[in-house]
Amino acid sequence: MNQENPGNVIEIKNLRMYFPITRGLLRRRVGEIKAVDDVSFAIKKNETLGLVGESGCGKTTTGRCILRLYKPTAGEIRFNGTDISGMNENRLRLFRSNMGAIFQDPYGSLNPRQTARTIVGMPLIVHGMNDKRQQNNRVEELFKLVGLDASMMTRVPHEFSGGQRQRLGIARALACQPALIICDEPVSALDVSIQAQIINLLEELQEKLGLTYLFIAHDLSVVQHISNRVAVMYLGRIIEIANSRELYENPLHPYTKALLSAVPVPNPVIERKRTRTVLKGEVPSPAAPPPGCHFNPRCNLATPDCAESSPELRDTGNGHQVACFKVQA
Amino acid sequence: MLEKTGRDAKPVDLAKWSETAPRYSETKRMISVFAGRPLPVIGFVIIALLILVAIFAPFLAPYPPNQMDIINKLQPPNTTHLLGTDSLGRDTLSRIIYGSRTSLIIGISVIAISSAVGIALGLFAAYFGGVIYHVIMRFMDALMAFPMLLLALLVASLLGAGMKNIIIALGIGMIAAPCRLMCGVVLSVKQNDYVMSARAMGMSNLRLMLQEILPNAFPPLLVMITIGLGAVILAEAGLSFLGIGITPPTATWGGMVNDGYKFVMTSPVLAISPGIAIMLVVFGFNMLGDGLRDALDPKLRGVI
Amino acid sequence: MPPLLSVYNLKTYFHTYRGLVKAVDGVSFDINEKEIVGVVGESGCGKSVSMLSVLQLISSPPGEIVDGKVIFEGQDLLQYQPKGETMSSIRGARIAMIFQEPMTSLNPVLTIGRQLTEGLEVHLSMNPQSARERVVELLRLVGIPDAKGRLDAYPHQFSGGMRQRVMIAMALSCNPRILIADEPTTAVDVTTQAQLLELMQDMVVRFKTSLVIVTHNLGVVARYAERIYVMYSGRIVESGLADDIFLNPLHPYTIGLLKCVPQLGETRKERKLVPIQGLPPNLINMPSSCAFLPRCDRARDICRQKPWPSLELIEGQHYVACFRDGPETP
Repeated sequence: MNQENPGNVIEIKNLRMYFPITRGLLRRRVGEIKAVDDVSFAIKKNETLGLVGESGCGKTTTGRCILRLYKPTAGEIRFNGTDISGMNENRLRLFRSNMGAIFQDPYGSLNPRQTARTIVGMPLIVHGMNDKRQQNNRVEELFKLVGLDASMMTRVPHEFSGGQRQRLGIARALACQPALIICDEPVSALDVSIQAQIINLLEELQEKLGLTYLFIAHDLSVVQHISNRVAVMYLGRIIEIANSRELYENPLHPYTKALLSAVPVPNPVIERKRTRTVLKGEVPSPAAPPPGCHFNPRCNLATPDCAESSPELRDTGNGHQVACFKVQA
Repeated sequence: MLEKTGRDAKPVDLAKWSETAPRYSETKRMISVFAGRPLPVIGFVIIALLILVAIFAPFLAPYPPNQMDIINKLQPPNTTHLLGTDSLGRDTLSRIIYGSRTSLIIGISVIAISSAVGIALGLFAAYFGGVIYHVIMRFMDALMAFPMLLLALLVASLLGAGMKNIIIALGIGMIAAPCRLMCGVVLSVKQNDYVMSARAMGMSNLRLMLQEILPNAFPPLLVMITIGLGAVILAEAGLSFLGIGITPPTATWGGMVNDGYKFVMTSPVLAISPGIAIMLVVFGFNMLGDGLRDALDPKLRGVI
Repeated sequence: MPPLLSVYNLKTYFHTYRGLVKAVDGVSFDINEKEIVGVVGESGCGKSVSMLSVLQLISSPPGEIVDGKVIFEGQDLLQYQPKGETMSSIRGARIAMIFQEPMTSLNPVLTIGRQLTEGLEVHLSMNPQSARERVVELLRLVGIPDAKGRLDAYPHQFSGGMRQRVMIAMALSCNPRILIADEPTTAVDVTTQAQLLELMQDMVVRFKTSLVIVTHNLGVVARYAERIYVMYSGRIVESGLADDIFLNPLHPYTIGLLKCVPQLGETRKERKLVPIQGLPPNLINMPSSCAFLPRCDRARDICRQKPWPSLELIEGQHYVACFRDGPETP
């Protein structure tokens, strides 16, 4: 297999996902939403890459492309060297056991008419574990792994609390021993005291099972806590990728700086010392992004040439990549 | 400025204090919602009686339904004929009792055919979308635009009258409603993350539709089927009244109204009593449907 | 100077199919003039219900305000009928509220101008002309460009963030004494959240209004609130100045909360999160002892034997409801 770096579980190259905007009875194509526009990154084994951005920035679409819930418009998605971006449905179906998915809504992601046992065991059935006893043993094992009591296996989702439901979702994602797990906002619907339990569980599971995560969330403090590296998205593009610590201490892109400053810290003493940069305006529609650097109309460093061409991600050393003309590095 | 507050109750028994949501049965809740309202219960009783009467018709009816007694024709209600006799001297009560069988058989068969086809088409249309959706839904629009009466006349003139053909005619005519309902419900169920999750784990389309989508789309269908049964019985009565339904002498309520209305001035009971039977049954199914709708309402599920 | 709003021993219960839910069970708090107060707690702790009870916006049935006093400007609001004239003259005019769902709070078929002037005409008996002028002024203050031209626009012609601004303008239009913001930023992104909170802070300073921010976000209260109430399962467990709560938390729940939220700039290598064990209690048929007891890591015998302690003054304005004294169990 032609793999550039054998340590990478997943490599995304120039991924594009355009959704057509159609109008009228004949569904004439009148434009497209560039939900993901030329995104590239790689995740090493046992690593967590955080993907942050505001709603509509394309982070969820990126996750769904990797899960191949969407067929990307262009680009490569290499999983352990195999490009899955153009794989047909039949081959995909078998391939899917390599990836797990955890969704945001612990209420919506579990079928309300199935018992916990069926929900967690479903991937096993789908991927051909037909022996009932074997299935049961594995489900029991998974329950234990995520900290649920096996006696609750016969319950249906509405008899679980939000955190427990998310544990069920994690157990289901782990069922087929996937190498990569796409976590799409796994804690944002949970109460703060429950969030920590789930974050810790995800961290422990990663150490125990050698998992690789793509952690998609809008909450920067959560993403930063769990991730080794963080990628910041804005209107379909990645504008900065850096080591988690580095991103906080030395953010380069003006958008990243604004994003960091917008997140309040639960400490009034620190808060009083912080300078707050409040961004002007709102995120433009992804159907009609501004020309050039998408961030230029809201950027305080922008000059006319920022609207001329869009900056590429470039390395400023130490794996810290940024897409901005104005940043000196 | 804070006032002291305290609860004057006993200390805690931690063992009794469950940390998780208590187990509680969804079925029990549904029954209690259903039974808590008078009209659904009345509807349920009417329908239960209808079914019992239909099953035990031979034991309940005082006379065979088609036994003619020309000498005693057009009798007013009396002790030997509780609801009188018709123009051929047949006992009205017995014919109403046997008519319940016709109504139920037609109602159930028509709903079975139309729901099976309609649900399948609606499921396919909504699940696959695109061209499949447009073809199926435009076909349903055409079917809905076609008056059911005309369709029944067409089938009757092509295949002749009779129970089987009535079932076919009504069955085809009633496909559109479950299909459109199913389509709408599936379109919304499809949005749920558990469907997304099932796709992400590699579930096949067929399994996804049957295992993940169908069970969750079922509650509104159940309501529609119940109310639909009433509608079918009413439609059958209408067709029989017009004489293009069940062939005589089979006892049907619609046919009885038709026979009776010629004598409405002299023996009003002949037309009125089967009319009341039709009304009660349709009312019963509607009330039952309403009760089911409330009991199955997902908004009421799991709320504290 | 007495506080602007004093709530004493407020109890709001819900009669549900599964039993009695004591959503708010003996809550007392004060809001002073020109003060920004934060009310924090997790979902179901009764923070929103407390605020809705102050305005008698609890739908009954199933809800019922069982007990308590809400003293606002010297009179007890609970003596008035929820749908009576006095309450409607207070709601929106004297005490305004901004709700969680900004999208559904504006009527889609009326123009922005119409919706904003209505309150002024009804509550302040302004004539249409001066009401319009004031609305333009307000819209300009909340940062709506071309305020005059936008008066005749409908809500759907505004973007989400702009609608939030319109909501703020609407809430402030009658110059209320208190503005209650119920999870104002839960549905929006961080940068929008920052914009709106900054705007709200500016506005309440300008209008000399008190602001109550009801939220689950500890960062938001740390940034904006001067005084904080921490709620847990229908009760206030700790209250005090922001510094008291964040730098010297005393209730095990507050301590736990602060330990379990990730802080910006911290990675997992530096500090592992310490979650609060267990789950928030089920509010139905609660025992009389401290509701936090099953999750508490410093529970002692006295906690099991005695009913939930009431708030005790520690120092300054720092109150806590916990049996802290006496020997700690290891």
